[in-house]
Amino acid sequence: MTPLHHIGEFVREALLAIPLWAVRALFVGSLAVLLVWVLRLPRTATTPPDGARRWDENLKGPAALAVVIQVVVYLLL
Amino acid sequence: MLTLPDYIVISVYLIGTLTIGVTIGARLKTGTDFFLGGRSLPWWAIGMSLVATDIGGTDIIGVGGAAYSYGLAVANFEWIGCVPAMIVGAFVFIPFFYRAGVYTIPEFLERRYNAGVRSIMAVCWLLFMACNLGIMLLASAKMMSAVFGWNTTACIIVTALLVGGYTLIGGLAAVVYTDMIQCAVMIAGCLLILVLGLVEVGGVGELKERLAAAEARQAEAAVSEPSNSGPPAAEDNSSQQTSLILPVDTDTPFPWPGIYFGLALILSPAYWIGNQAIVQRSLGARSEFEAKASYIWGALLKNIIPLIIAVPGLIAVALLPDLADGDVAIPSLVGKLLPTGLRGLFVAAFLAALMSSIDSYLNSAATIVSNDLYKRFIQPDVSDEQLLRVGRITTTVLVAWALAFAFLLTQMNEDSGIYAIFQTLMAFFQGPAFAVLLIGILWRRATGRAAFIALLCGIATSVSLYAMNQPAVLGAMGWEPLFRIQEPFLYFSIWAFVVTAVLLIGLSLLGSPDSEDKLRYVLGGSTRPPATAPSETADSTSDGAES
Repeated sequence: MTPLHHIGEFVREALLAIPLWAVRALFVGSLAVLLVWVLRLPRTATTPPDGARRWDENLKGPAALAVVIQVVVYLLL
Repeated sequence: MLTLPDYIVISVYLIGTLTIGVTIGARLKTGTDFFLGGRSLPWWAIGMSLVATDIGGTDIIGVGGAAYSYGLAVANFEWIGCVPAMIVGAFVFIPFFYRAGVYTIPEFLERRYNAGVRSIMAVCWLLFMACNLGIMLLASAKMMSAVFGWNTTACIIVTALLVGGYTLIGGLAAVVYTDMIQCAVMIAGCLLILVLGLVEVGGVGELKERLAAAEARQAEAAVSEPSNSGPPAAEDNSSQQTSLILPVDTDTPFPWPGIYFGLALILSPAYWIGNQAIVQRSLGARSEFEAKASYIWGALLKNIIPLIIAVPGLIAVALLPDLADGDVAIPSLVGKLLPTGLRGLFVAAFLAALMSSIDSYLNSAATIVSNDLYKRFIQPDVSDEQLLRVGRITTTVLVAWALAFAFLLTQMNEDSGIYAIFQTLMAFFQGPAFAVLLIGILWRRATGRAAFIALLCGIATSVSLYAMNQPAVLGAMGWEPLFRIQEPFLYFSIWAFVVTAVLLIGLSLLGSPDSEDKLRYVLGGSTRPPATAPSETADSTSDGAES
């Protein structure tokens, strides 16, 4: 056994102690944080330089949709 | 297995692809046209190209096979292993690279750090892409030989010449537009399997019941045969076969720490933000907004990919529960479900996935040779027209190399370890490369000298971990394996990333800061990154030499 094996075993034991419901909360929580970040992006970051003339020229909606699908997927599966 | 109508479908697809490539190629005049599609590519084509490039020929059959063997957890690679990184990349990193006006990620790294960092990354990417071209050709040819009964040698040669032909003629624009068609064909072919499979099983509810029954049988077998312990049941009692989150001590290569820390936080952003073959197409977009839009469109499409390539593996568990090898699951399902003519559509989908990955790596490898090596070190004053010629010559040489390498690999035993080393090559340097890129973009204090040393040490870390996990080394040293899961490449990337990041931060703090010129390439800097030619960063050459 090398020192690396001892470090690895320590990390492994620590991770084994985390229940899977908490892991699911970590996955979904991370995606939720991403969703909030997307929704709070300024218009200048999500539209063309001269502003959105049509609804599909604002990327915030499609980006949020992509993340919401992920949240649902990781909540259910 | 295939009949005349199938071959007609395949021929229509191949002729259509070649025609698009040749038509686009007639319009190319400069290196910018060849390497970045003249910066005129639309977001919808790039988005589909991103998805098509990411899904290789072997993935179409291999992901379904992995789902058959290990369950739905393999879908993590397409969901949390893609979508979040694409969203962050779209709004933060891609616009930054686009405004910098670079051709390649190594070129960006020279502007932020020095020529030494650029050179290491250019060589790593070139080695990976060139070797991967040969591996993709061989792996796909073997699959075509096993599934369709075609001759392996002929498959290698025909695929290389066909893809090499339109990439050579049409450059990135041909790659992106053919990828778009290939993405549509791929989705249509795989969707067909999904729909017909669900109909055959009797719907989603029936599929869940059959999967639960299959898992119960597996658990019973594990109890009656203790040596065959099988994967432990998930703690929350959900079926392991349909669960994305698996425990630390799972028998599969997908325990949750590897998926979350290794895939979602390191390998995925490294791929979508730092992989030349991926980022290059967004740099060819018509505008910064379209570059962002292409990533968002790609992320939306990515959400459906696991449904069409991984779920068929679960359908195979329900319909064909006694297969000895997961890799035959999808071909067996195709044979069972698809009638004549429609099998041709699946083969076209397979070829589309294969070709869309090979063409991208071919074009990106040529871009690196032409821009990061030839233009940077051999002829800095090369004209754009000459660079087009260099790009085409490089593409030809790379096709020849890929053919030679594929045939060389056929002479090697798959168990020799060489094959596995090349397949793991990207995991060796992606973690360190991402650490250097990320910290360089986010932290003003990161220096070129520290990045150079940290990058080398990070790569050495992943290579050492790989070596320390090989049975021959373990036997000789009398050690236990460092990692207990199969194929622990996700863990290599975590540790290599951590070592690189710690060294980069520590060494940067010990040394003196870089010049203000370098800090223009840090996010939130006082000025936007200007589109300067690489030759204008000549001062960085000496910087890199010092390293």
